[in-house]
Amino acid sequence: MATETQVLEAIRTIARTELEMERPISPEDDLLRDLALDSLGLTVLAVGLENRFRVKLSEEDAAGVQTVADLARHVASRTEAAR
Amino acid sequence: MRPARLQGAPQPRARHASLNEALERAAVSGRRGLTFVSADESETALGWDEVRERASRVAGALADLGVRPGERVALVLPTGPDFMDAFFGALLAGAVPVPLYPPVRLGRLPEYHATTARMLRLSDAAVLLSDGRVGRLLGEAVLRAGPRLGLRNVASLRESGASPIARPADPGALALVQYSSGSTVDPKPVALSHRAVLAQTDALRALMPDDTPEDPQLGVSWLPLYHDMGLIGCLLSALTYPGPLVLLGPEVFLGRPALWLRAFSRHGGTMSVAPSFAYAVCARRVKDEEMEGVDLSRWRLAMNGAEQVSVEAARRFSDRFSRWGFRPSALMPVYGLAEAALAVTFSPPRAPLRTVPVDPVALAREGRVLPGGRRLASVGIPVPGVSVEVRTESGTVAPEGVVGRIYARGPSVMDEYLGQPEATRAVLDGGWLDTGDLGFVQDGELVVCGRVKDVVVLRGANHAPQEFEDALDGLAGVRAGCAVALGFVPPGGDGEELLLLVETTADAGPDLVDRIRAVVAERTGVRPHTVQLLVPGTLPRTSSGKLRRPEALRRWATRTLYPPARVNAVRMFGEVLRSALALARARPRPAPEVET
Repeated sequence: MATETQVLEAIRTIARTELEMERPISPEDDLLRDLALDSLGLTVLAVGLENRFRVKLSEEDAAGVQTVADLARHVASRTEAAR
Repeated sequence: MRPARLQGAPQPRARHASLNEALERAAVSGRRGLTFVSADESETALGWDEVRERASRVAGALADLGVRPGERVALVLPTGPDFMDAFFGALLAGAVPVPLYPPVRLGRLPEYHATTARMLRLSDAAVLLSDGRVGRLLGEAVLRAGPRLGLRNVASLRESGASPIARPADPGALALVQYSSGSTVDPKPVALSHRAVLAQTDALRALMPDDTPEDPQLGVSWLPLYHDMGLIGCLLSALTYPGPLVLLGPEVFLGRPALWLRAFSRHGGTMSVAPSFAYAVCARRVKDEEMEGVDLSRWRLAMNGAEQVSVEAARRFSDRFSRWGFRPSALMPVYGLAEAALAVTFSPPRAPLRTVPVDPVALAREGRVLPGGRRLASVGIPVPGVSVEVRTESGTVAPEGVVGRIYARGPSVMDEYLGQPEATRAVLDGGWLDTGDLGFVQDGELVVCGRVKDVVVLRGANHAPQEFEDALDGLAGVRAGCAVALGFVPPGGDGEELLLLVETTADAGPDLVDRIRAVVAERTGVRPHTVQLLVPGTLPRTSSGKLRRPEALRRWATRTLYPPARVNAVRMFGEVLRSALALARARPRPAPEVET
């Protein structure tokens, strides 16, 4: 089980080390508009979170996920459900 | 000067009459088949005999369903056994597989639905095969395109209890339809016969250095199977060989690039093919601790193609991984396109990387090859059976050392764009395929240096420029319809990147570049490398007012993309002066800045 804060921290780590982003990341950031993630970046982020939290993110998860906070909440709820 | 005409070795004798026959033979060969590697490095083996057995059951179910020989069977499946069931099942039913790309996690579904529907319609697919997970997302596309037999789950077909069948195929019949990768605005279904596909795999086989039963050729690939390089270059090459192939899904590689290299080491891989960016990604993202115990010394061929080869990225890869036994001579630039099934030229295997130093400005401005500071990779000589010519604008064969349009002819060139005679005529003439790429011949080898067709190739995927240009529609500060999207290789970069040249209006505002970047990323999923703002009237146009993209790129690259003189002669003069000063200092500088 992971908290939203832990997921947020993981998103920051992935952004810094794997996506090589230099800008700070805030929960309000829009994944597409603010972080400008392309399909490759989204895949790296999704797979990175899957590997860390042992969850499976599907293509459908895009529907409710717009911002960093949305993603953190979504992953956290998934780890909850997977217990 | 010798004419720029190159001829590959004679086409080797055909080994198989059809892919169906190749599968029958592979199934009884006793050779190792496919291995799938998942994200946790667990592996699933699937022998060629199993591939055939499962596919014949799917084929039986497809026939029962009403799929007729020659009909198209589309499939959207991730890399895994289900893909093989659907692809080879369609073939054994006498039908024509059409692999399409699956949706991206957290990606943009509305665009995905529209593109998939369009591809289904263009290939006139009778049915779409998928699995339970991806299938849930395909309803919308199926609804719009309306394939006759709807959407089916491949596992259910396999387990339906239908009697297995394995129909033979005629060598001249359509074997598969592949889309030139990733192009979403104007996808073109490339129609390839069994003969064409097999001519390609025969040619590739002839180029592979000899191997022995103790030391067989072994490919390790993460490439998507809906793309010529992964499908024909890896999967069908292994099938016709027949021999082993280790497959990772693209998302497995992107999530953790080290898994590709580790799979090479575990399996004693000898061969890879990937776009330039993949080698660059490995050099940057793989950590030392992930490489513990890894041995890459058996890796003999690291083919690099599908986008312009970045010499620097290739070198960074070999420098980074030589510690783990990677040999620089394994790096092998190659050139090809979906319309030629896959490969057109190959650089010689196990030879040092050959580069040609050029002056980029003379190259772009005059189409002449003069020695200079930019290194371009030679992509070698035509593969067996293929002829290449570089032609001038008037259509005559150019002399060596002069840039022209690359034409290719050979037995693996496509028959047509399926059901698109006009588009076909535009690129095929008397057996010659107009590649739309620019290049020159130097010392008997081809060098690719640009493009005349309106395509941007990013990370091995083709994009129509309109995808990016249309994303700017309605953005405050952008002159409507006055932007061009182009691909270019930044010096020292990893590969081709997106360049946007955008004419602005009075209300541009200081944050326009940021807004352009954001909207393009949001709508297209691609981050522009460079956004250049221009005053109105700067972009070159035809007399009928159409934007001339290749010319815009040429001028931008040669720093001659000036606003019309009447707009601001004084500033233009200043620009020329600054240019001259900068050149005198012989320092690289960006293209002229334009105030807006």
